[in-house]
Order: sequence, then structure tokens, then C-alpha cells
Amino acid sequence: MTTRAEEPSAPTRSAGEQRTGEQRTGEQRTGEQSAMILATAQKIRAAGPSSPRFARDPVNLPAIRNWTDAIGDANPLYTDAEFAARSVHRELVAPPAMVQVWTMPGLQPPSGAGTGADPLGQMMRALDEAGFTAVVATNCAQTYHRYLRHHELLSLRSELTDVSGPKRTALGDGWFVTTRNTWYSGDELVAEMDWRVLKFRPAATAPPATAAGPATTARSATTARSATTARSATTAGSATTAPPMRPPVSADTEFFWAGTRAGELRIQRCGECGALRHPPGPACLSCGALRNQGYQVAAGTGTVYSYVVHRHPPVPGKRLPIIVALVELAEGPRVMAELTGAEPDEVYIGMPVRTRFIPIDDDLVLPGWQPDEQAGPTESAPTESAPTESAPPGGALPEWTLRVTPTVVVAAAIATRDFYPVHHDRDFAEQGGGKDIFLNILTTTGLVQRYVTDWAGPAALVRAVSIRLGVPCYAGDTLRFAGRVTDDAGPDGRDRVIAVTGSCSLGNHVTGTVRLAAAGSTA
Amino acid sequence: MTADSGALAGTPTSVRTPTSARTPTSARTPLISGTTAIAGIGATEFSKDSGRSELKLAVEAVRAALDDAGLSPADVDGLVTFSMDASAEIAVAREVGAGELTFFSLIGYGGGAACATVHQAAMAVATGAANVVVCYRALNERSGRRFGQVSVDAVRAVNSAGLDNGWHYPMGLATPAATVAMAARHYMHAFGATSADFGAVAVADRKHAATNPSAWFYQRPITLDEHQQSRWICEPLRLLDCCQETDGGVAVVVTSLDRARSLKKAPVVISAAAQGSGPNQYTMTSYYSGDLTGLPEMGVVARQLWSQARLRPADIRTAVLYDHFTPYVLMQLEELGFCPRGEARNFIAGGAIELGGALPLNPHGGQLGEGYLHGMNGIAEAVRQVRGSSVNQVPGDGPVLVTAGTGVPTSGLILSPA
Repeated sequence: MTTRAEEPSAPTRSAGEQRTGEQRTGEQRTGEQSAMILATAQKIRAAGPSSPRFARDPVNLPAIRNWTDAIGDANPLYTDAEFAARSVHRELVAPPAMVQVWTMPGLQPPSGAGTGADPLGQMMRALDEAGFTAVVATNCAQTYHRYLRHHELLSLRSELTDVSGPKRTALGDGWFVTTRNTWYSGDELVAEMDWRVLKFRPAATAPPATAAGPATTARSATTARSATTARSATTAGSATTAPPMRPPVSADTEFFWAGTRAGELRIQRCGECGALRHPPGPACLSCGALRNQGYQVAAGTGTVYSYVVHRHPPVPGKRLPIIVALVELAEGPRVMAELTGAEPDEVYIGMPVRTRFIPIDDDLVLPGWQPDEQAGPTESAPTESAPTESAPPGGALPEWTLRVTPTVVVAAAIATRDFYPVHHDRDFAEQGGGKDIFLNILTTTGLVQRYVTDWAGPAALVRAVSIRLGVPCYAGDTLRFAGRVTDDAGPDGRDRVIAVTGSCSLGNHVTGTVRLAAAGSTA
Repeated sequence: MTADSGALAGTPTSVRTPTSARTPTSARTPLISGTTAIAGIGATEFSKDSGRSELKLAVEAVRAALDDAGLSPADVDGLVTFSMDASAEIAVAREVGAGELTFFSLIGYGGGAACATVHQAAMAVATGAANVVVCYRALNERSGRRFGQVSVDAVRAVNSAGLDNGWHYPMGLATPAATVAMAARHYMHAFGATSADFGAVAVADRKHAATNPSAWFYQRPITLDEHQQSRWICEPLRLLDCCQETDGGVAVVVTSLDRARSLKKAPVVISAAAQGSGPNQYTMTSYYSGDLTGLPEMGVVARQLWSQARLRPADIRTAVLYDHFTPYVLMQLEELGFCPRGEARNFIAGGAIELGGALPLNPHGGQLGEGYLHGMNGIAEAVRQVRGSSVNQVPGDGPVLVTAGTGVPTSGLILSPA
């Protein structure tokens, strides 16, 4: 157990700002305390892996459904028995990213169970006593040896692998605590996870500009100190002039704006004759019907019908120049929006584009366009073939935008069996310095997995998910995922590794990778 | 001419068309065609800083127009302006010294209202609703509210206009130039037109303004190269594709042809007057149907004008085509039938739209050269061309065509000598 010179975890501001405790005032006392912490850590580590802690329930469909509902993961592998029967798994399986859920302590853990023997719990208590009362999870690297089937009862062994500190981080001085967790089904090792948290002494001064998402497993009554001032600074940076203009909304048009908030491009569809129209209005422009005007969610692809490069005069909320494109959707109607991700001289009439969503604030999400690099051969709907075969290294995944409503935060926290109050109790979260309740790391792990499997299709086999948390993602924010296929082929040289980032208004919420097995691999 | 003596002079002698008859456009015979006339025009100076209120500019223009017609304020019983105008009819009536009004009307859709004010006035006169109607527009468009800037207010109201703008302004398409640029880009793509083709319009306007002492750009012509060197505003539009910003006011007096015959100036007959709105129309953003290569609302106006006046494009001596942005001049030539669709760039080549060419456009210099008076100064120039009093007179006595704002529900006139 040593204090390492470089700690690659998220909340540190920069290597240059990190200092060891010995450099600060009161170094004598700090040194003694550090020695005690390290001694405790040494003792816990020497004890080796904990005895197995069993999941309360076996892998089961109701829990899986709660999870897929909350994460919004529609992969039929998890809930559609007929589909699953035809898959390589031959039966329903659990989402790999759920592995940690099965052994979460839950709201009412059995008394005495786990906590005493849990190396992480022991280390947390030692750090609590030393004044490092707050905790954030910073890293989670899961490897799945196989998919889990219903009725398997998992057990978890946990081992303390590293304690390093004290470190000065953006959140305050603290210690990084790393554990290795292994899940067994019977005697079979089915999954592993390296898990790192920062246990820190909350800074007494103004909250930092960036902060990691608070941890989710330690249930000690600690304070999650999070960013509260960064939001305004971030939004100010995106708008150099006046506030962005907002669209008026009427009863005829509100579905469209609710759609963008939900990450959907909704096009008015007449329930009488099926005709589409945009912009929306009270009547069908084709048959005249006033009743039964609904909408359909556009695929989000289209081609540039015309465009401009606006350079002058200033436009409130925009940094000029901007490209604004009138796009003809694959479904027919035309939609106007800003086009990003291309230089003015790269845009042309007929250029394939794909929708994206531009969060402005808590209430407004604008539609946008980005070049559709997947247009053409792969524009067909997701199929059961593994698209990793055709996705070249360097290829970008389409962006995915998720409106992180309070419902998403709470439903996902509960679906991941994480009852730490910062994920469902706003008062509690605010008392801890947070702006609101925020996503837990198990949810973020699930969202990263969903983002990649939505793109790769239900036949894709997830081998590993490894993420590092950055800023918290509060309720009301919008998460925007981007990804690309790396040229990393994994340990066996046949896998595909997808690099993923998820950003929100405060900055990068998550960076990580998802490793997919090559097509044709067995489950 | 006093108010008393002319009280009923504008009443038409007969009503020719049953109002219930929904006849096709081509068969309509409106009351106004050939029965009404423009009797006077007036204007303030055109500047960048008028130094006075818009209401005062309106009053000055109206009084100048009445003087030009040989009428007094007491003769006025109708007033028409743009819904965008800052000075209400009653305020202008008060300040001008008009008494009772029997007709007052506001026309919407920005510059699309220009010729429609005359259309409204002519209808009022033709039906006997009023006898002397003054159309006016006054604005401090440079020193006050500048239309070329982004109007945040345009997306504040939850009404149909605000909602329509809500599909464009927040996305960054928020200026008149940008809305025109969007259509211009597709027009270029469809027909092979270039920025230089748009530039030919600017060069013609500035050439004409250079010999018009009332023009802001008097004695300041430009070359096509200068146009091509001017900076981008909103690609594909350059600075010199965009009209000026102007302070000033213009007024036009409409009365019956019979009464006009007895006034100071020779009557300028309203041979045709029409408004037009296209299918699936928006204000500057009719992007959601059609092929974005034309101005369908101007086509609606054109069909009515030719029908009412019983004229063809070849009969027109000179035309004042609304030129807030150059690309729409090309599209108007096509919509009005001066050339086939997509052919305007060839039609205008070689100086055809300059003085001395086959169809001189905007002899006063247009809104790029003379001033941006929301199209009303173009009506005044058309009147001068019919009277034979323009500083840039186009020879002959043929009819003159005027159009109003493009990209919006619009209007047009054909004016002829009596």
C-alpha cells in the first residue's frame, strides 16, 4: 500500500495541482494520520477476499424489466423470450451491466450481513473516522465472462486492492480506494469489476468547478459534495451574446418540443389518413382532419435540401458562423435546424444528415443536424447481424441524447437497487451541496452499455464495460453520448472496442469503453 | 378641388361583377381596374438618421403627396398603411389635419403590403367606401429599429406568426437575409445561377441610383467585381446583395380616375392591383412544400395583374421589382413571366435590366440604390415613369409594373397613363 505519485482518477484537477499531504501545513499530524490509514488498509488487504456475500434474489425477469424500463434499453434479448430463443443465448439473459445490481445491499440489508466483512465498508469507516466523510465513485471496470441466465444466484467476493492518498482533488483532500469484486454463479466466475471511489474531506470553501458522481455502494452517512456553480459558467461559455431565442409553444406544437426533450424528432401524423406534416398545426394538410392528429418519431435521417452559412449579424445564443440547414427527412417532411459537425465548405445539397438534439436549458432542447457518416449501406434498420463486422476503426457512432428527468434518475437508482438518498431525495442532495438528485454510477454504466448495443444491435455480445466518471449528471440535464470504433481489438485480437463519452451541461459526465465480442462468438 | 365638390365623384357608375360569382382568376373583371388612379406622390428625404419621429415623417410624406395631387388634408377620408408601421391612421389623420375618416386599413406581412395599400385604397374608392385615400409608410429603419438585425420579439408571442418564427429563429435562421439565402441556395443549385448573377441586379440598381439625386447612393455606382469582393452576410448572400437601411417616409394618394382627371397632375391609372398568398405560405420561410425555386405568392399576383390589365409581359416598359435582396429579383422575373423558369440569369445578362436595356428595372435605383422604404418608393417611381417625370425616364408610354415584398404574402400593381 503506497502513495502513488500519479493517480489517474477523475476528480483530480491536474497532476500539477496534486500534492502529497506532507507538503501541506500541519504535515506532522497529517503524516501520522496517513500512516494510520495506510496501516489499516494494509490490514484489510492482508485479510484477502471477503467471504461470499449472496444476492438476495436470483437473476429474475421482474428485476430485469425494471432495469430495462429505467435505462430505456429495448434490446429484445432481455425481455422477448422468442427472440432470445433464436439468439446465440437460446434463452432470456440479463443485461451484462446489471451484474452489480444483483448483489447490491438494497434498502433494508440483513442486519450484520456483509458490512463487517466487506473490505470496502471497513476502509470507508476508517476514513470516516479520519474526517474523510464524503464519497464519490470514480471508476468502474466490469468484465463479463458470460451472460447471466434467469434463476442463477450470484455471490460476490470483494478484495481491497489499493488505497492511495491523501490527494488534493477538485472535491477536497481525499483517498482513492480500489476494490476488486468477483461474481460467482456456483463455483463459476462469471464477472469481475475493479471499483474505485474517492473518500474525501469536503472542501469548506466554494464548490469546485467539476466533481465526480457520488458513490453508490457505501452507505455511510457521508456528504456528497458536488458542483453547484459550474452550470452557469458552462452555459455562459456556449452563448457569447444574448440568451438563446425560444420557440413559442401552443397546444398544436407542444408534442414536438416534448419530443426533443425526450430525444425524439416527432413529426405530426394524421391518424385519419396517415399524412405527415411539419411544422405542425391543428389540421391535417392532406385530408383536413382536425381530430386524431398524432405524431410519429422520425428515424432522424435525411438530406440537406438547402442551407445557409450565417455570418452576420449576431444571433442570440449562437457563436457565428453557423450553418442552418433545411433537411428533407427520409419520411418526406422538411425540418429546419442548425447543422454542426461539418465545415461550411463540406456541406452540400443532398448531403446525408442525422438528427441530434441540442439542450439549451431545463425546458428547451432544439433539434439539430450532424453529418450522417453511416448513411448508405448501413442505413437499414437494426438487424440481428453483428454490425461490428462492418464498422471500421475510426467510425463514429450516431450521437444519442437522453433527457435526464427526475424520473430517469429515481427509476434507474431504484432499478439498480441503489437507495443512497442523493439519487431520489432532492433535499438530501442539496444539503450535500448538490444542485439536485443525480445519476448513480450503476445507471451510467447501464446507459453506456445501452448506447453501444442500440448501435450494434441485439446480437452484439458485450464483453466489458469500463467507465470513468467526471462531472455529475443532475436531474433536468441532458446527457449526450458520442462514440467511435477504436482500433483496439481486445485481448484476443478479435473484439471491437468502442470508445464512449457522455457529456452534460457541466462537462464530461462519463468516458469509457465498451468491448464487444466478434460476430459469431458464443455467449 | 374641395372636399364638398368631390364627395361622390369616386363612386363607380355601375357595378359590373356580382360579388357572389366565384369566377376563375382569368375571368375576373374587378371594379378597380381602370376606374381608379394615383393622383399624387410625396416623400421625405431618404437618410440614415432622419432626426425626427416616424409619425412626423409620415405626416410630412402625406402632406407632400396631397400637395402633389392638389388636394387638402380635409379631402382625405381614407388612410391605409402597413401593420408594421408605427403610426396609426388616426394619429396621421390628426397630425395631417384630416377630419372624418370613412375607411382605414392595415396590411400585414411587411413589405408585401406596399402595393396592397394601393390595392386597398383602390377597392375603397371603387366601392364608394372612401373618395380620397392616402397610403403611407414612414420608418426610421436605420436610426431606429433595423429590420436586418435579429428581432427577438418576433418569437415572443404565442400567435401564428410567433409560432411560425419558432421553427426558424431559435435554430439560427433569424434574419431576412438568412431566409432569402436559404431559398437562393436552392435556386442556384437547381438552375446554375451564381453569385455574379445576383450581382448583376445590384450593379443595375446602383447604376440607376448614381444618376438619381434622391438616392442615397447618388453618384456611387459599383462594379460586379466590387459586388464579388463584398463580404458574406449569410452565404450565399453578400453585403451588396442586401438593400440599404433607410430613414424616411413615402405617401401615395388614390382616388377615382374621374376625380383624378380634374386634379393638378395627370392621372396615373391603376390598370391592375392584386394581392397574393401561395399554398402553404409562410412569412419569408415558405420552405415546406414546393421546390424552393420560385415565389408562388408572386405567381398568384402575376396572374391577376395580367388578367385585370389585359396585358402581357412584353407590353411592360419598365418594372420596379422589390429588391430587398437580389436573388428574389431573378425569381420575380420568372414568376411574372418575363422569362421562363430558371432563365432569369440569362435574361438579365448583358445589361438587359439596366437603363437602355430590354427591360430596365428599378430606374430610381431600387432599395439597394435609392432607399429602403419598404417598397413604397418603388410605387412613387412607377408613378413618375408613367407621368414621364423620372430623372431616369424610360422612353415610351407603356405600362409600368410594380411589385411588393418577396418571400411574404405580397402584392403588385400595373400603372398606365390615362
